[in-house]
Amino acid sequence: MAIHAGAPRRSTLAPGDQAKLDDLRARLADLKDEPGATLEALYAAQEVFSYVPPEAVTMIAEELSLPESEVFGVLTFYTMFHRKPSAKYVLRVCRDLSCHISGAPAVLKALNDELGTRVTEVTEDGLFETESVSCLGLCDLQPAVMVNLEQHGPLDAEKARSLLADLRAREA
Amino acid sequence: MELVVTKNFGNPQSWTLESYRNAGGYQALEKVLNEMTPEDVSELVKESGLSGRGGAFFPTGLKWQFVRSDPKTPRYVVINGDESEPGTYVNRYSLELDPHLMLEGMLIAAYACNATLGYVYIRGEYGLGHERTQAAIREAYEAGYLGQRIMGKDGFDFEVTFRRGAGAYIVGEETALFNSLEGKRGNPRYKPPFPTNVGVWGLPTAINNVETLSAAPAIIENGAEWFQNLGHGEATGTKMYCLSGRVAKPGVHELPLGTTARELIYDYGGGVLDGRPLKGFKPGGASSAALGPEHLDAPLEPRSMAELGTIMGTGGVVVYDDTVCMVDAAYRDALFFEEESCGFCIPCREGTPNLVQILERILHGQGTMDDLDLLEDLGASMMSSFCGLGQFAHQPVRGAVRAFRDEFEAYILGR
Repeated sequence: MAIHAGAPRRSTLAPGDQAKLDDLRARLADLKDEPGATLEALYAAQEVFSYVPPEAVTMIAEELSLPESEVFGVLTFYTMFHRKPSAKYVLRVCRDLSCHISGAPAVLKALNDELGTRVTEVTEDGLFETESVSCLGLCDLQPAVMVNLEQHGPLDAEKARSLLADLRAREA
Repeated sequence: MELVVTKNFGNPQSWTLESYRNAGGYQALEKVLNEMTPEDVSELVKESGLSGRGGAFFPTGLKWQFVRSDPKTPRYVVINGDESEPGTYVNRYSLELDPHLMLEGMLIAAYACNATLGYVYIRGEYGLGHERTQAAIREAYEAGYLGQRIMGKDGFDFEVTFRRGAGAYIVGEETALFNSLEGKRGNPRYKPPFPTNVGVWGLPTAINNVETLSAAPAIIENGAEWFQNLGHGEATGTKMYCLSGRVAKPGVHELPLGTTARELIYDYGGGVLDGRPLKGFKPGGASSAALGPEHLDAPLEPRSMAELGTIMGTGGVVVYDDTVCMVDAAYRDALFFEEESCGFCIPCREGTPNLVQILERILHGQGTMDDLDLLEDLGASMMSSFCGLGQFAHQPVRGAVRAFRDEFEAYILGR
């Protein structure tokens, strides 16, 4: 069982995030009457904030008429939800079986070295973070990396660096 | 060889309704609605021998009959697209390249089950699969294949809701998937009662894998005997096998169920990467115990794999060459299951990290021969786990110890 590191349950909102809370409340209106929409509600929060802050958990609980503990329990169960601000590009590097024996460790190292960060640490410009994740179902692209939900592979250290260069070019 | 579930993959824009209809799509559904009763459908599918392609190989037609026989309504059909087994990516291909085939299969199942509601549940990481499946659902609604009075048939209504996961292997377990659909943590539920009687929202539910449902239209069109003859004996039909690991050409191949690993790896996968010697292979994803090269000619189907002490699993064949350390490979499997254990029951929650610790000890040269027995004992105790995750998590480790014991001993004895 993985205990996923996250922010403590105190406010992580920046000044001016009130507008984002209003945005989230509007999005939740569509989900109120849909049974079992907790995951979609958490996705909505993550789309608005890049992560799920404690205030969003409270709001989802209120709007969906659920105990806050249950919403928090769901949030912490699924690995794709973030509890601290996440980067614009989340680079998910597969660490399992096929990718591992095809060179995934070198890909992860190349990305971290190039970014000067460790796994789940966001770069100062807020653009990138790496994650070391369970099988992505991209074994034909071994070793594979997902940039948000975009599929990349097969990669090696050099291709991983050019992937970063491409992403940076998008931002330029 | 005749293809069943991948036949449209090469068509231009194969994921669109137009392309699907040009390839004869939704004609099986039309035949079902005009010429068959729900009983006819489940009997035909039973006769075909189609069984659950997610790895459990439960007879599909029987499942549909059970759901239809339960008086509670509404009944559900749920598509399990939560494929997350390491080494497995066949559903991804179907979701990206032929979502209508799966939807037509779902509608055939709905008719056979007298079901009126459905969910398509896809793992959170399959972004392109989400887009194309959602688009296919919209197209199917617009064309009258979903909704009320489908294809003009009075009394045949079926509504589908699309849902995505958010990163959790355990949700591929059918009852855990129901909890996830209901907006909860993906812990599994106790069985019995089985989903056919008490499924999502406590109602009768036919939950089928993407690949299983994708096979249904062709069975309706071509008959049970045709499907039987595609396979090998009791292993009827085809299976999407997928290759990864130290193989020259990773990829998906639809082949008769019961194809041997030798054919798959050497005839279709181009052999071992760089022509190196084969050390072993996993027949079906991380949960399956690896086999040595002496078993290359065993058919990849459930019964033969069970006789060899492993499982057919998902058909995700992972190839190991002589550069792969089998102790490290077993350690990777153990790490995966430690990460993915939901933490609900003790044998799995405590067992998976213990497997990791013992293997770390061995890898660091601090293991003892007793540790090999300990792995066996620990595995045996994990058989009391609440669901299949814990019951299978130790199999790849114990299997590696059995088949590649000399490598473990080399670490322990410092050779």
